[in-house]
Amino acid sequence: MSGGSLTPARALLAQTAGANGFFGCRIVLPGGRVIADLDPGRISEKELPAEWPGGEIVRTAPSEGVSGKSYTLNIAGRGLAVLEVQWSSLPPSGDAGGWTGDLTLGIGVIGAIGLAGWALAYRRMRTKVRGVGAVGDALRAAAGGEVSTAALAVSESFGAEAVAWNALLADRESLQKRVAAEIAGHVVVQATGGRRDSDLAGLCDALWLGLMIVDEKGVIRYVNGAAAVLLGGARDELLGKPSESIVRDERAAGAIKAAATGVNRQRTSVEVESNAESGRGVIRFSVRAIRREESGAAMVLIEDVTQQRVADESRNSFVAQVTHELRTPLTNIRLYLETLVDVGDTDAATRAKCINVIGQESRRLERVVADMLSVAEIEAGSLRLNIGDVRLDALLEEVHNDFKAQAQDREITLLFELPPKFPVVIGDRDKIILALHNLIGNALKYTPVGGRVVVHVETNEAGVTVSVTDNGIGIKPEECELVFEKFYRAKDKRIAGITGSGLGLALARQVVRLHGGDIQVRSQIDKGSTFTMMLPMGKAA
Amino acid sequence: MEIQETRQGAVTCVKPMGPLVQGDAGQFQRASSEVRARSLGRFVVDLGAVPYADSLGLEALVDLTEEMSEGGQSLRICGANETLREVLALTGVADLFEHYIDLNTAVRSFL
Repeated sequence: MSGGSLTPARALLAQTAGANGFFGCRIVLPGGRVIADLDPGRISEKELPAEWPGGEIVRTAPSEGVSGKSYTLNIAGRGLAVLEVQWSSLPPSGDAGGWTGDLTLGIGVIGAIGLAGWALAYRRMRTKVRGVGAVGDALRAAAGGEVSTAALAVSESFGAEAVAWNALLADRESLQKRVAAEIAGHVVVQATGGRRDSDLAGLCDALWLGLMIVDEKGVIRYVNGAAAVLLGGARDELLGKPSESIVRDERAAGAIKAAATGVNRQRTSVEVESNAESGRGVIRFSVRAIRREESGAAMVLIEDVTQQRVADESRNSFVAQVTHELRTPLTNIRLYLETLVDVGDTDAATRAKCINVIGQESRRLERVVADMLSVAEIEAGSLRLNIGDVRLDALLEEVHNDFKAQAQDREITLLFELPPKFPVVIGDRDKIILALHNLIGNALKYTPVGGRVVVHVETNEAGVTVSVTDNGIGIKPEECELVFEKFYRAKDKRIAGITGSGLGLALARQVVRLHGGDIQVRSQIDKGSTFTMMLPMGKAA
Repeated sequence: MEIQETRQGAVTCVKPMGPLVQGDAGQFQRASSEVRARSLGRFVVDLGAVPYADSLGLEALVDLTEEMSEGGQSLRICGANETLREVLALTGVADLFEHYIDLNTAVRSFL
């Protein structure tokens, strides 16, 4: 039955005729077209037509001594046909009525089996025609310029032809990739002055810089692993694509095009900034033309320079802040010196005031410079801790004594809640004192007259926790982390008259982090703040 | 497992808070992979709060650095304690990572 032919039906016809002693048996369509006959020479139609018009079917008259009968068959969806059978007029033996009954039954069986066979053949043929049609459509799409394997693939439910077509497409894609890789290798070899090196691809992949080769037509011919990461795509997907579809920035795309086509042979560098949801990023494209006798291309080095940009900006900001912080006390010193010179010995009170202010501003300058140096040392990685055993009880007593007078002056209650026994901590004593000075000094500075500052110390197996709690002006929630940034000062009008470099908390946190600990803050506006310093017991980092 | 994520400049720091073991290792690997993709590899794993790691934890770290090696990068880790450093050395995977003493040094390595 394969191929939609009538062979199975014809075989059934012959088998049934043989079993019943028919010497003539055939199926005829209108117009005398014979689709099945015991004598294959009389068959005029090789396959069952999809449909045929109606019309009278000429029935063959039986010759002498021959009996015949014809039956009209309605073949669903196609049209009418006639089944003719002929047999000898004389029954071979036995009861003629029984023989006739067998004949009728046989004809019925032939008709039913034939119809079922045709229906099955029709279904299979239809499926096959649909598969071939789909492949034909895909071929026409390919001729029209479609190159995508996904677009050209057909459903494999259409049968063997569809499966074979899809396999052909997969082979083609694999071949394309191999050719692209070969071309990429060829271009890289050209770019390196013709040096052939079996490890060249491996070397390029080990590069932490992105490397991309774009041909004269602007098509990406090679990308190493780093380039794929920085361009945000898989290497296989990037190969063969126009570079303009990947590098969207106009300046960068223009530079690549100019180099690839040989319009510009100079090295060009373009930085592209993106503000993705994940944060700001700056990618630098350094482009250079590669010209050979027969072909041209552009070599593009791709770098992530985001951190360099952030560091540059931070440095510029630092210089600006340093200038401001140094200028303010210096201006005061100069003004009061001028006043001092003017008044001479004539006004003892003014003279004393001037000297006092100059002294204060000098100390402020000294403090700012020391803080800046410490911050700069930490940021440059050159700050080294002088690690040793630190007796916290003695250290805290020293800190307490340092702030007693200041607290009394401002009528602030300064309480130290200490445990009965202190462990010995390993760390840099001076740096721990510096951190505590900044925390307690800040608490006193931002707590109004008559307020309260509590230094609470707890120890456990992990380390020591020092909490400095005040009932001062507090910090807004959105500023709690910002106060640890260099030169940041809270946006609160109430602190406008309070001097500060904005370096203290940044320095304190950095120092504690160098010890492997951290400083955190909890605060409520108008209720106060708690700065918690955690110092691990073990070795410093 | 709590995994802290902070930014220092343009660098993201992933800090697992606790041992890198069993299911926590998978959680850590997923979080780190997500940060890696988002930051184009500009990230550091701070192991300062990881007291120890089992084989799954090590596997998570090795998988991360192997993913990154395809892009010419390697995983930067910092703050690993002596136990972790020993485990990494004994299992022969220490060379797969860039080790830094602390987060600041690791962040500066991106300059």
